[in-house]
Amino acid sequence: MAGLPRRIIKETQRLLAEPVVGILAVPDEANARYFHVVVGGPSQSPYEGGQFRLELFLPEEYPMSAPKVRFMTKIYHPNIDKLGRICLDILKDKWSPALQIRTVLLSIQALLSAPNPDDPLDNNVAEHWKSNEKSAIEQARQWTQLYAKSNTVNSH
Amino acid sequence: MSADMNRQMSHQSEASSMGSDCDSSEDLDEDTEKFYYIDTTDDLDLDCPSKTDDPEYFEYEPLQLIDAERMMNEEIEALCMKLKVNPSTAKMLLLRHNWKKEEIIDNYQRDPSGFLVDTHLASRRKHDNLVGQRPVCSVCCSEYARDRFVGVACGHMFCRDCWDMHFQTQIRDGVTTGIECMAKECPVLVTEDFVYKVLSDSKLRDKYSKFSFNDLIKSHPKLRFCPGADCSVIIKAKELKAKKVECHSCKITFCFKCGLSYHAPTECDVIKRWLTKCEDDSETANYISAHTKDCPKCHVCIEKNGGCNHMQCPECKYDFCWMCLGDWKSHGSEYYECSRYKENPNIANESVHVQAREALKKYLFYYERWENHAKSLQLEETTTSKITARIQEKVMNNQGTWIDWQYLLKAAALLKKCRYTLQYTYPYAYYLDNRKDLFEYQQAQLEAEVENLSWKVERAEITDRGELENQMDVAEKRRLTLLKDFLEV
Repeated sequence: MAGLPRRIIKETQRLLAEPVVGILAVPDEANARYFHVVVGGPSQSPYEGGQFRLELFLPEEYPMSAPKVRFMTKIYHPNIDKLGRICLDILKDKWSPALQIRTVLLSIQALLSAPNPDDPLDNNVAEHWKSNEKSAIEQARQWTQLYAKSNTVNSH
Repeated sequence: MSADMNRQMSHQSEASSMGSDCDSSEDLDEDTEKFYYIDTTDDLDLDCPSKTDDPEYFEYEPLQLIDAERMMNEEIEALCMKLKVNPSTAKMLLLRHNWKKEEIIDNYQRDPSGFLVDTHLASRRKHDNLVGQRPVCSVCCSEYARDRFVGVACGHMFCRDCWDMHFQTQIRDGVTTGIECMAKECPVLVTEDFVYKVLSDSKLRDKYSKFSFNDLIKSHPKLRFCPGADCSVIIKAKELKAKKVECHSCKITFCFKCGLSYHAPTECDVIKRWLTKCEDDSETANYISAHTKDCPKCHVCIEKNGGCNHMQCPECKYDFCWMCLGDWKSHGSEYYECSRYKENPNIANESVHVQAREALKKYLFYYERWENHAKSLQLEETTTSKITARIQEKVMNNQGTWIDWQYLLKAAALLKKCRYTLQYTYPYAYYLDNRKDLFEYQQAQLEAEVENLSWKVERAEITDRGELENQMDVAEKRRLTLLKDFLEV
């Protein structure tokens, strides 16, 4: 881990020592800036019971620049597109060097509880959400069953 | 009757009325003096219309970077003195409030701390995030002595190295005057004195200074960078208005308010909508409007090689209009109608499909005319160079002097100006709701006179000078009338 900033070492240690409930983040064996993440679908949401795999990468400028995060598991959500990219303000212009991997992952979990179709990334999904919320939620639930069950193999 | 004759006649009548007003015992010399005096002022007025007469009149001056900097520094200094704040704060206040000095002074004097909080130059409560003798910086997680920690107005303290890194990252992303404190959800801005104190990289210091200067200019309502490529001129105007500015250095003309190509009578937001629309729909439009058309009478294929829309078939000599392919005879000013789009009166009852097609048809109608004038304007450039060559030839053959033929170049320049305005009447008409009849009437009038002028300019050999100058006068009057009635600034 030569040359790894103290900040990243500290954060990694804390993530492993005091994990956040429902979130697992493990650094890659070969690259300490790359994390394998699993976020549990929040209860009372259409993603409940699902295990969503994400990748998180800390760029060279971290923590001055935001981490790069992407969903690896297919998910039906207005703020997450087909490629797993996430529309979240703190990952873009609202990033602050005082934020951490932990806070980012918590925000992503919160985004699953509260989709925001008014600020869409995937227009079709957002349109579905706005025109027929019930049917959209049902679709999200089906996708969770199809793709986010831990015993199924996700190739996305 | 030529415009010149008109002018002379009006002078004479003025002179005679002057004469009758004068006392008969007055010296004749004095009388002539008066006459000459009035005559010259009148001439000046005719050449460049007065402020009240010309709807396009706009006062502005070009500044060099250093002059603009001096001007802004004076304003910053004045505010420092008035409010007793430091220059960095004064600069930020002016930038954030678009240099509205009175408003800034009023608000500041009413509630200094509240105003600073609203401008993100202070926070409601002073934070203190340092614990113990050797606190840990929450960004890099390293332990340092207290004197390594610095911060801005909000009181959030971080180590110097982290601030330095933060500034480097932000400046590389193009953020300068908008750099915020590093703390979570803290909107407090970092002023330049702090950046210069901490930032170590000298190249980035230069970049910071350049970018913040640009931000200052952009926020100033009376200043605008010339949008010309690599042009460093800054235009200073008395007020922020959508008026025509010509850069003396790179010669481009643009709108002072939005920086796009000058677009009267269309407004800034409308022309932006129109240009975006044209970009989106250009493929369809290109596909539909070809560059050549067939003669409506003998069907020979004709390529348009001049700016004039009054076409004469080289084969059968039929005179027709390039736009509507109708007989040119029907294009006498009263009946000139091919600039007017006729909407299907029964549109509300048609199916969605038909409505969509109608919408496309309407857009294409205006787009074709817009595009056609743009192309004609380009072709008019050729006309100008042809005229220059022709003048050369004439002068060489002892047919008059170079000065004698200058009116031809003047006519070509005026034609360009009129056609330019005409081009920009089409986006205006496309989005127009009120007074459509009047606008379309005036547009048609201008269209007819511009085509007449174009026809005469291209055939200047056989057109009488007086006739040409008269036509110039008429075309310019039509243009000014339209602008006076519809230019809303």
